[in-house]
Amino acid sequence: MKRHIFVFVALLFISCDAPKTDRASNTDEYLIPATAEEILKNVKNADARVVLVNVWATWCQPCVEEFPDLMAVYQQYKEQGVKLVFISADFEGQADGAIAFLKAQGVDFPSYLKLRSDRAFINTLDPNWSGAIPATWLYDSEGNKRYFWLGKTSHEQFEKQIRDVLMEGDQQSGLHTPLKARGET
Amino acid sequence: MRKLLAIALVAAMGFNAEAGKSETLALGAEAPAADLEMKGTDGKMYTLVSVQGEKGTLVIFSCNSCPWAVKWESRVASIGNAYRDRGFGVIVINPNDPARVAEDSFDEMVTRAKTLSYGFPYVVDPESQVARAFGASRTPEIFLFNDKGKLAYHGAIDDNASDANAVEAAYLKDALDALLAGEEISVSETKALGCSIKFNEDS
Repeated sequence: MKRHIFVFVALLFISCDAPKTDRASNTDEYLIPATAEEILKNVKNADARVVLVNVWATWCQPCVEEFPDLMAVYQQYKEQGVKLVFISADFEGQADGAIAFLKAQGVDFPSYLKLRSDRAFINTLDPNWSGAIPATWLYDSEGNKRYFWLGKTSHEQFEKQIRDVLMEGDQQSGLHTPLKARGET
Repeated sequence: MRKLLAIALVAAMGFNAEAGKSETLALGAEAPAADLEMKGTDGKMYTLVSVQGEKGTLVIFSCNSCPWAVKWESRVASIGNAYRDRGFGVIVINPNDPARVAEDSFDEMVTRAKTLSYGFPYVVDPESQVARAFGASRTPEIFLFNDKGKLAYHGAIDDNASDANAVEAAYLKDALDALLAGEEISVSETKALGCSIKFNEDS
């Protein structure tokens, strides 16, 4: 029992210890131009139990409509080790609009701006992806791609898969206490 | 081992989500839903059979509302008009549900076709049936069939939506030229970012 409590407290401590980059203030660190390779490298080294990666653009209506649900599910689960990575597919010269949108949505961590050709970006991020947006991937703590949503997705749909992966992680680490028993619904 | 199996199972389930609409048409396949009538902006009814060309048929899923489609639309007009004159059937299909996207209403399509001087049908697929049958997922998305009616090229128009003058790989034109010359298409599948199709969810 003591061991379980220790592991639980340790996990809470780790998940609440936000990395320095999570509080980006300067614009250069807020929307970072990056290739798919660079983004994937960071996703795999994210030190998180779940990473959601979302490709969006300011002018993509379903992306804009979906955005608050992604932010809500992130806020709800971030203390359990869930991270959210936004990749803007806005056209060159539209970064200011993307930054304004991210700030208005309350995004207080760094995001990315797609660099290089679409084809290389799409195939590197996911060879099975057609390139349609919005597109969202769920990665587990080991950097495995576990789930993919194409098109506008709801809070409920995101939450279901996040919970499944979190609970699976709990079971594997010996934390058999269900999420519900920890006061979460 | 059990964990690996679980991951494989969940991954398989997850990635089926993308195909939630349907599998994308494979190279070599014939056009599905070819007898389905679609209304053109000129008021006439068209099917994919009715627009078939002697050299091949160019089917483009596009729309009024997607910024990517808008960036490419003048190239759609020039390529469509040029290759229609060289024996290709050309049709642009708007698969978005107009009830979900006002900008994709029929009246707006009529205006757009006139503005762009489309010399080929711009038709509406209001229940997204044709798009589903093709397994199309975004606008713009190209399906080019050869003179035998087999899918010969699928993907993007070129490699630069933003700037026609900066295009390095003109995928569609290269594919059309290869078909005209009776040569093999060197790059037969490509990808580009695009707007997800706003499927009619009632059908």
